[in-house]
Amino acid sequence: MILRIDLKSPVPVYRQIVDAVRILLVDGELHPGDSLPPVRRLALDLGVHFNTVAEAYRTLEEEGWLEIGRRSGARVVPRAVSKRYDPETGEAFERRLREIVAEVQARGLSRNRIARELRRLAEALERS
Amino acid sequence: MPAQTILFLAVLLLMSGLLQIVPGLTRPDIFFAVTVSPEFHGTSDARRILRKYRAIVWCSALAAIALELAAGMELAALLLQAAGFLWALVGAHASALAYAAAPGSVVEVDLAAPRERLPGGPIVAALPVLSLFALAIWATLHLDSLPERFPVHWGIHGADRWVTTTRTSIFGYLAVHACVCLLLVGLAWGLLNWSRRISTTGAGAAAERRFRMRIVQLLIVTAYLLTAPAWLAMFHVSSAAIDIWGLAMAAVIGAFVVAVMRSGQGGSRAVVNTGSALLGDRTPDACWKWGIVYINPSDPSILIEKRFGVGYTLNFGNRWTWVVLALLIVPLAAGLIFLR
Repeated sequence: MILRIDLKSPVPVYRQIVDAVRILLVDGELHPGDSLPPVRRLALDLGVHFNTVAEAYRTLEEEGWLEIGRRSGARVVPRAVSKRYDPETGEAFERRLREIVAEVQARGLSRNRIARELRRLAEALERS
Repeated sequence: MPAQTILFLAVLLLMSGLLQIVPGLTRPDIFFAVTVSPEFHGTSDARRILRKYRAIVWCSALAAIALELAAGMELAALLLQAAGFLWALVGAHASALAYAAAPGSVVEVDLAAPRERLPGGPIVAALPVLSLFALAIWATLHLDSLPERFPVHWGIHGADRWVTTTRTSIFGYLAVHACVCLLLVGLAWGLLNWSRRISTTGAGAAAERRFRMRIVQLLIVTAYLLTAPAWLAMFHVSSAAIDIWGLAMAAVIGAFVVAVMRSGQGGSRAVVNTGSALLGDRTPDACWKWGIVYINPSDPSILIEKRFGVGYTLNFGNRWTWVVLALLIVPLAAGLIFLR
């Protein structure tokens, strides 16, 4: 269960940690009851400030993925997915998807490759 | 030739032998403290740099031996060898910088990596200090039955320094031992909690975990062994017991040296493929001064894998490092003052 971050990416490190852990949670690689490394341990291994990891854990806690105990560290908790459709979320998703597609296209990724990746993602979502 | 001179020359030669092999113990993507591609070690440029380094190391060793034989200046001979080694290392580091490879900016961590703990738990680690505490209580209760003086230093021919038995001298002597034991146990704990793991997956990660645990075990065993002289001094045992203790210390250190030579830095010699395609040890080349001193204020690690040699060094850019250093210096200074 590897967490990868790019220290030279324009995306802040704490955001990269949140995104990477959320992917592991959504993909089911992290289950309720699993423990994440303590803030200090993860910060040392990544070579980033303790506050960066603490902020990422706090964000995931606010989203309802984690429970942070003073002694037990961060633990994955069962999270109920909201069944109510929120139009703003849908619009934000569409906007962000378009931005990402435009960005990778500008960086030279072919249309075929982008379409293939999106198809693969869609198929995985339908299967899950 | 006096036995002391022969012993001194043997130490000089042993040191040079170790310095000869140390460059081969580093990680495959590090060469004289510079990040390089693993293939660089086999190139003619790398061999040229290595030859020059070894030539300087052995020339300075020979000069030191000549100085000792001609003038009997042990300290000057030692300093000469140390200066030669530093010159060789700094020169090799500067030459290797021309072949530096850009380390990747991607960092990966295994979230499921097992947590590292002190072998046997905190009680086992604290036992040397607790035993010294128990000894202090026992000595206080039996102060009248203790001999008038007790040994505080042993040489080749047995005890060679004594102090008068008083409550202060006993507590001072035991406190010095306790501080050194605490320091060793603290370093073992610090290694597990304040240092970065570099290999994340596969056999490389497993080898690194074994390497780290071996160093932690060495520190704990050394703490246990260091309590022995305190017990032996209080109970006035024969010098044969001290000899056995000395042999035990030498055996532990010898076994450790052999083990780390086989495993290499971070266990990198124990596996052909470290399991990671990422280059370097996650420290920037620019933060290594002369290849041996690491200064990086933005790195949260206090202890960091050495780039030259085997084991760990301090991150002098971290303010907590200075607290650790103070903890290291205070017991040593107290010990020296007490033994004087």
